[in-house]
Amino acid sequence: MTTMPAPPTGGHVSRLSRLALPWAVARLGFRRQFAYPQAALWGLITNSFFGLLRVAVLLALFGTRPQVAGYTPQDAITYTGLTQAFIMAFSLFGWFDFMRVIHRGEVTADLLRPASLLGFWAAQDAGRALGQLVLRGLPMLLIFQVIWGLNWPPGPLAWAQVVLSVLLAWACGFLFRFLVNCAAFWSPDAVGFGRFAWALLGLGCGFLMPLAFFPEGFRAVLAWTPFPAMLNTTVELWVGVTGGGAAWAALGTQLGWTVALLLACQVTLRAGLRRLEVAGG
Amino acid sequence: MADVRHHLTLYLRLLGAQIRSQGAHRTSFILDALGSLLITAAEFAALALVLPRFGGLGGWTLGEICLLYGLAELAFVLMDILFGGFDAPNLSAHVRSGSFSTFLLRPAPLTLQVFASDFALRRIPRVLLAAAIAGYGLLHAPLAAGPETAALLTAAVLGMICFFGGLFVIGGTLTFWTVDSVEAMNVLTYGGRTLISYPMDIYSAWLRRTFTYLIPAAFLSYLPALHLLGRPLPDGLPGWAALIGPLAGPLVLAGAFAFWRVGVRHYQGTGT
Repeated sequence: MTTMPAPPTGGHVSRLSRLALPWAVARLGFRRQFAYPQAALWGLITNSFFGLLRVAVLLALFGTRPQVAGYTPQDAITYTGLTQAFIMAFSLFGWFDFMRVIHRGEVTADLLRPASLLGFWAAQDAGRALGQLVLRGLPMLLIFQVIWGLNWPPGPLAWAQVVLSVLLAWACGFLFRFLVNCAAFWSPDAVGFGRFAWALLGLGCGFLMPLAFFPEGFRAVLAWTPFPAMLNTTVELWVGVTGGGAAWAALGTQLGWTVALLLACQVTLRAGLRRLEVAGG
Repeated sequence: MADVRHHLTLYLRLLGAQIRSQGAHRTSFILDALGSLLITAAEFAALALVLPRFGGLGGWTLGEICLLYGLAELAFVLMDILFGGFDAPNLSAHVRSGSFSTFLLRPAPLTLQVFASDFALRRIPRVLLAAAIAGYGLLHAPLAAGPETAALLTAAVLGMICFFGGLFVIGGTLTFWTVDSVEAMNVLTYGGRTLISYPMDIYSAWLRRTFTYLIPAAFLSYLPALHLLGRPLPDGLPGWAALIGPLAGPLVLAGAFAFWRVGVRHYQGTGT
C-alpha cells in the first residue's frame, strides 16, 4: 500500500460537503456510545466508588491545611470529580481501536474511504468522546455536585477558556493515542507498548495526582512532555489555579502540543502506510 | 494421600503447559510484564511523590502506608496469579464459547482445571514491586520484630489472598447466569483492593463500617496493622479481633466455593 486514496473528485466539491462526511462519522460515533446503557451505568458506579476513595485520600492529605500548592480542599474535590468525569471521554485508561484495525488488516477498508485516514478517525473519536462526556462525564459531575459540591469556573471568560481547553485536551490526547496506536504498523506486540504509554499518561497528565503536588524537579521534567496538556491544564483552568495571562499561555501550550502531535501523527502514518502489507483473501 | 499427590502433579503439569505457551511469544510477554508493572509503579509513585509535601496521610507515615499498600498489592497480585482462571472475563469466555463443557468432560477435577486455566506469569514483576513496597514498610514502620509480627503479617497476606480469591470465584460463578452483573464485582475486587491499601480511618464512618462488618475487608490487614503498630482498634473492638481478623479470608473463600458448586450444577452448556 503506497498511495493515499484520492479525495473525492466531483466537479464542485463545496466546503460544506467536504465537512458532511466527518460530521456524519462523528454523529455515528456519538450515537454508538448509547448502545449499552446498562454497562454505562455500572461503569458510572465503579467510577463513583473510586472517586469516593480518591476524595478521601486527598482530604486526608490536606488534613487541616486550608491550601496546598494553590489547591483548597474544595479544589481537590473538584479535581477528583473532573478527572473521574473525563476518564472515558479522554480514554485515559487506554485506547487500542486503531491498533486492532491495523493488526486485522481492516485498515484497508478505511483507506478506501473518500476521506483522510487521520481525519476519519478524529471525527469518529470526537463523536465517541462527546457521547462519553454526556453519558459518563456529566452524570459524574452531577454526583460530585450533589455529594460534595464542586467549584465552577467563575465567569464567561473562564468558561470560554475551559471549553477551549477541553477541546484542546481532547485533540492532544487523541493525537497521542493515535500515534501510540501507529506502533502496530511496525510490531505485532504494539499492545504491550500501548500499556507503557497509558501508564505514563496516567502519571504525567495529572490523573493520579494533581501535578502541582509533585516535587519541583519532577514537574519540570513533565513540563517538557505533552502529557499535562491532555488533562491537567484543563483542571487547573477550571479550578482557577491557572488564571489571567497564565491561562492564555497554558492554552497556547496546549495548542502548540496539538500542532506538534498532529505533525508527528502525519509523518508516522505516512511511514506506517508505506510499510503496510495486508494479506488478501 | 495418593489422590492429593496425583492432583498436585496434574496441577503442576497443567501449569507447565501454561508457562510454555506464555513463553512462546517472548517480546510480547516481556512488554506485557513491564507494562503492568509500570501501571502499579505509576500509581504508587504518585502517592509517594506527593507525601513529603503533606508530611503524611491522616497521621500515617510513608513507612506505615507502605506496609498497608505493599501487603494489599502483594496479596492481590499473588491471588490474581493463583485464581486467574476464576476471573470473570476469563471464565465467562469459556462459558459463552461452550469450552467450559470440555472441562467437565475431562477425567480431572473441575476446580483444579479452572485453577490451572490461567496462570499469568506476566504478573511476576508486580509481585516483586509489591514485595519491595511492603519491605520498605517493614523497615520504616515502628513494628516490634518478633514471631508474633511475622505470623500476623503472613496471616494477613494469606487472608487477603483467600478473601479476594473468594470474590473472584463469586464473580466467575455469576457468569453462569449473567454477564452484566460482573461489573458490579469490580467495585468489590479492584475497589476493595484500593480501599484497604490506605489506612481506613481516612474514610467516612459508614464506608469504613460497611467494609468492616458487611464485607469483612478491614479484618484482613487494617486491624492487624493497627494492632502491630500499637494503635487502638476502631469501634472499641477487642484486641483479639485483630489477631483472628485474617480468618475472615478463608471464611469468605469457603462460602464462595459453596456458591461455585451451586453454579456448576446450574450450568447447562451453550448447546453447541
